[in-house]
Amino acid sequence: MNPEPTHSQQHTDANAAEPAVPMWLIGLMMVLLLLGAIYFDNNSGWFDTNVYAPFHNTAELERYQLPSAGNEQVVLGKRLFEANCALCHNTDGMGKVGQAPPLAGSEWVNAKSSYRVTHIPQFGLMGPVTVKGQEYNLNMAPMGAQYTPDELAAVLTYVRQAWGNNAPAVTAEQVSKVRSELSSHPQQYTADELKKLPE
Amino acid sequence: MKYGPIVFLAAFFALSTSWFGFVLKPQADLGRAQQETNVVSSLLYPQPRPGQARQGAEVYRADGCFYCHSQQVGQTGVACDVVMTSPGTNLTAAAEAVVKANPMLASANLTEFLSKLPATVLKNITRDQADAALKLLKAPDMKVEVHIVPTGPDITRGWGRRHNVAADYVYDWPVMLGSQRVGPDLANVGARLPDANWQLLHLYSPQAQVKGSTMPSFRFLFETRKIGRVPATDALQLTGDQAPPAGYEVVPKPEAHELVAYLLSLNSDAPLYEEPFTTPAPPPAQTNSIAAK
Repeated sequence: MNPEPTHSQQHTDANAAEPAVPMWLIGLMMVLLLLGAIYFDNNSGWFDTNVYAPFHNTAELERYQLPSAGNEQVVLGKRLFEANCALCHNTDGMGKVGQAPPLAGSEWVNAKSSYRVTHIPQFGLMGPVTVKGQEYNLNMAPMGAQYTPDELAAVLTYVRQAWGNNAPAVTAEQVSKVRSELSSHPQQYTADELKKLPE
Repeated sequence: MKYGPIVFLAAFFALSTSWFGFVLKPQADLGRAQQETNVVSSLLYPQPRPGQARQGAEVYRADGCFYCHSQQVGQTGVACDVVMTSPGTNLTAAAEAVVKANPMLASANLTEFLSKLPATVLKNITRDQADAALKLLKAPDMKVEVHIVPTGPDITRGWGRRHNVAADYVYDWPVMLGSQRVGPDLANVGARLPDANWQLLHLYSPQAQVKGSTMPSFRFLFETRKIGRVPATDALQLTGDQAPPAGYEVVPKPEAHELVAYLLSLNSDAPLYEEPFTTPAPPPAQTNSIAAK
């Protein structure tokens, strides 16, 4: 038979049954953690450098953006145009002698459909081309092939709407359509080839 | 020491966590901050200070202006105003839409309301309420805008139109944010008090320009000297007991001009992506400088 446990043993067992940390303290910690999490969610802005009080996150900040003075697409297009195209076509779209024909007032640019003009930056253009009654015989590399459809659409929209040009905007879908029809062209387009394309 | 390694590791962990949080993370986020774009004008913001203003920042620092002046405008909230800029072609439909969006206007004289443009249909509402109102404000060719109005005690005081953000200090070193507001905030003093002559007079004798000002006089930035053959063109025009003795003039030292150039360059009034606003600029404070030329 097992001997009866002594008094001191009973005492030790009772101690062992008590958890090292009381339950109420664990509960309090949980509550504090929850409150901390709520506070963090409300005030941290998720450490986004663009989010300041009184905004809580970028999604909220976006809702308070001003109706942009300039169309966003045009602003992007202007930036890309001035970084790349303006080297030859000039920032005022008037072109440069011996480098590029003008875009301002050009009948190619201002065509109702953007289909033909999209081919020029996408695949390049070479050989004789008549712009505003004047013949040019120059060579343009496929400068726009590097852009995403959104970017190329923005550049084309900017070109079609700046300097007094007034043609409808170009969408990324329209650019993607041109790209999907023809992934590459053996060499740059010529004006005659462009004219054979549907409007 | 039995727990030596554990104590070391715990201390190391605590210190390195705070170093990552307070030093590395902000440095990674903002250390390479550059100019941003003003969302309205599309110009780059902020512009580097001109040389004289950069020197003035050193004068500002040396004279301890930051002990009493902060350079940080706070903002506690943001509200929306719905403003109609054009009632469109069908005035009856426009009036109906306006009343639908704001029933309080039903009793108002709508003909007059529609003729005085821009007309504020709703004021001080949340973005959700503004969006709901936009859905109701539909009439042929009617044009409606939502204005973003930052709010807060600093903005009510006219110290700025928005919260200051990190981009405002891109060209500042050290950033003299200040922690006390014995005097008013100076983050936009260049926009509020753009009169250089007033600034000089105010530095020379603050109480003469602002009644009850507790600002000390910075007369050591000026020189009282005998008028030479030709009076100095930038001599202060002082009257009353401020005036120097006959035959003398008070001329700002170069430091005074530099400090004023710096103060006038303090202008964080640009709407940015982080803190958009459409509140109109308040007119510059009336500075009836006694020397208004």
